Amino acid sequence: MTQAEKERVPIEKGFFTIPRDPSEPPSLLGTRCRSCSEVFFPRRKVCAKCLSQDTEDTLLGPRGTLYTYTYVHVPMFGTSRTDAQGYGVGQVDLPEGPRVQAVLSGGAEDFRIGMELELQLETLRENRKGQDVVIFRFRPLAAA
Amino acid sequence: MKLEDVAVLGVGMCRFGVHRDTTLTELAREAGLKALEDAGLGFRDVGEAFVGYMQGLPMLGIKIMKEFGLTGLPVTHVENASATGLVAFREAAHAVASGRCDVALALGFEKMTEMAWGGGGGRGIGRDAIDSVILPAAFFALWAMRRMHERGTRPEHFARIAAKNWNHGAKNPLSHRQPDHKVTVSEVLASPMIAEPLTAMMACPVDDGAACAILGRRDLAQRLRPERPRVSVIASALQTETYTPGHTFLGPVVGPASMTRDTARQAYEQAGVDPSDVSLALCHDAFANEELEYYELLGFCPEGDGEKLLEEGATQLGGRIPFNTDGGLIARGHPGGPTGLAQIHELALQLRGEAGPRQVANARIGLAHLVGGGSVCTVNLLKRN
Repeated sequence: MTQAEKERVPIEKGFFTIPRDPSEPPSLLGTRCRSCSEVFFPRRKVCAKCLSQDTEDTLLGPRGTLYTYTYVHVPMFGTSRTDAQGYGVGQVDLPEGPRVQAVLSGGAEDFRIGMELELQLETLRENRKGQDVVIFRFRPLAAA
Repeated sequence: MKLEDVAVLGVGMCRFGVHRDTTLTELAREAGLKALEDAGLGFRDVGEAFVGYMQGLPMLGIKIMKEFGLTGLPVTHVENASATGLVAFREAAHAVASGRCDVALALGFEKMTEMAWGGGGGRGIGRDAIDSVILPAAFFALWAMRRMHERGTRPEHFARIAAKNWNHGAKNPLSHRQPDHKVTVSEVLASPMIAEPLTAMMACPVDDGAACAILGRRDLAQRLRPERPRVSVIASALQTETYTPGHTFLGPVVGPASMTRDTARQAYEQAGVDPSDVSLALCHDAFANEELEYYELLGFCPEGDGEKLLEEGATQLGGRIPFNTDGGLIARGHPGGPTGLAQIHELALQLRGEAGPRQVANARIGLAHLVGGGSVCTVNLLKRN
């Protein structure tokens, strides 16, 4: 496919990367404490564990293990969307340490605790500049 | 003066539920005046007030306090999500314990049914936000699913807790939900699925309401209501999260389970009592699976034995350690700001022996627990003297 790629922008800056190649998974933007080596998502200036301010940016993901999940059968809170047929929510353990809570891509029967998932970007809408506004999700790796 | 020299002088609340034709001010006034009457005091006797609500404009609490009269008393706003009411209670108790005043009032009010959920533009609201999935059922369901995975807990266990609390509500005239029949496990399981494994009947309703407690010096309790058993505050612990590996920062979360365990330990130490000394407990059962976890985290059984405690019937009225005797958040209701003060209302009635058909025999020490926004926990102990 040689279709021209639309520019993609994050729903909120500072949480994930947007790779130039849309087939590449994104990374999450995290923080590593230089003093005690603890890793956090999202980014923070002060280490939550040892309180050191000697912290550095680090990239996390794109893979993790499903710690727990649920499938929500009622429409999303606060949205005017009527297309909601339910959605998965999970907590994903990244090998670097952080546990990330996020919406999961897939159907009600697609998840089990301990499975491997991969980050992906999902387009939410097009903004006024014609760019795609994207957010990160986790999807079961088998469904890739 | 110490905390244990502080007594609950009076309590008052209006029945939680949908109060479309009653204003927030009217609800708050009803609860406050009832509590003053219960204490045998007038508003002029109140030295300080602590008002709790989760939503509303700045100064709302001070404006509402004007309903009781303008006496110049200091008013402080408190907001700690679901834990708001108990934290207002805690501040009022400490205002008396510190000697700042002889009588303090804690008042919580809320109209959750009018909560502005926004159009998806607000932070943390809706799917299209970086910290999305605000639906509380979802993140408490994550906890339930993990427990089922680790311990073999079944949805029937959660349903049994929900049915128990619905049936407790039937014995409480101030409960929102007062079923006209005995609610069964299968009925709870058959109600619509919200977030697996939690069904609608395993969740608290959306409520309006107000509740109030009057705290004062112990000797005042003796003087004002000599015929009544005295109810003393023997512990009030409040904690936020302590960092543990695997902590989840983004999105509304349940918070680490250790938060309740640590806060409870602090409360027991403060009071010099053990869980075995406690006669009844009220906990944050916004969703039924939470109560199962708190059996263990509050120290009423070893870790992993929650299901056993439940199956023995220990936590229902008549059992060894009845939980949520007034129906809990699931039946009595959970308007937010006033929820913790409704717990204090129930503990005061139980410890005085005035709880009617749901009276716990020889209730001596009562526990009130709430978590708020997955980020705070408070455990309070009251004792009959």
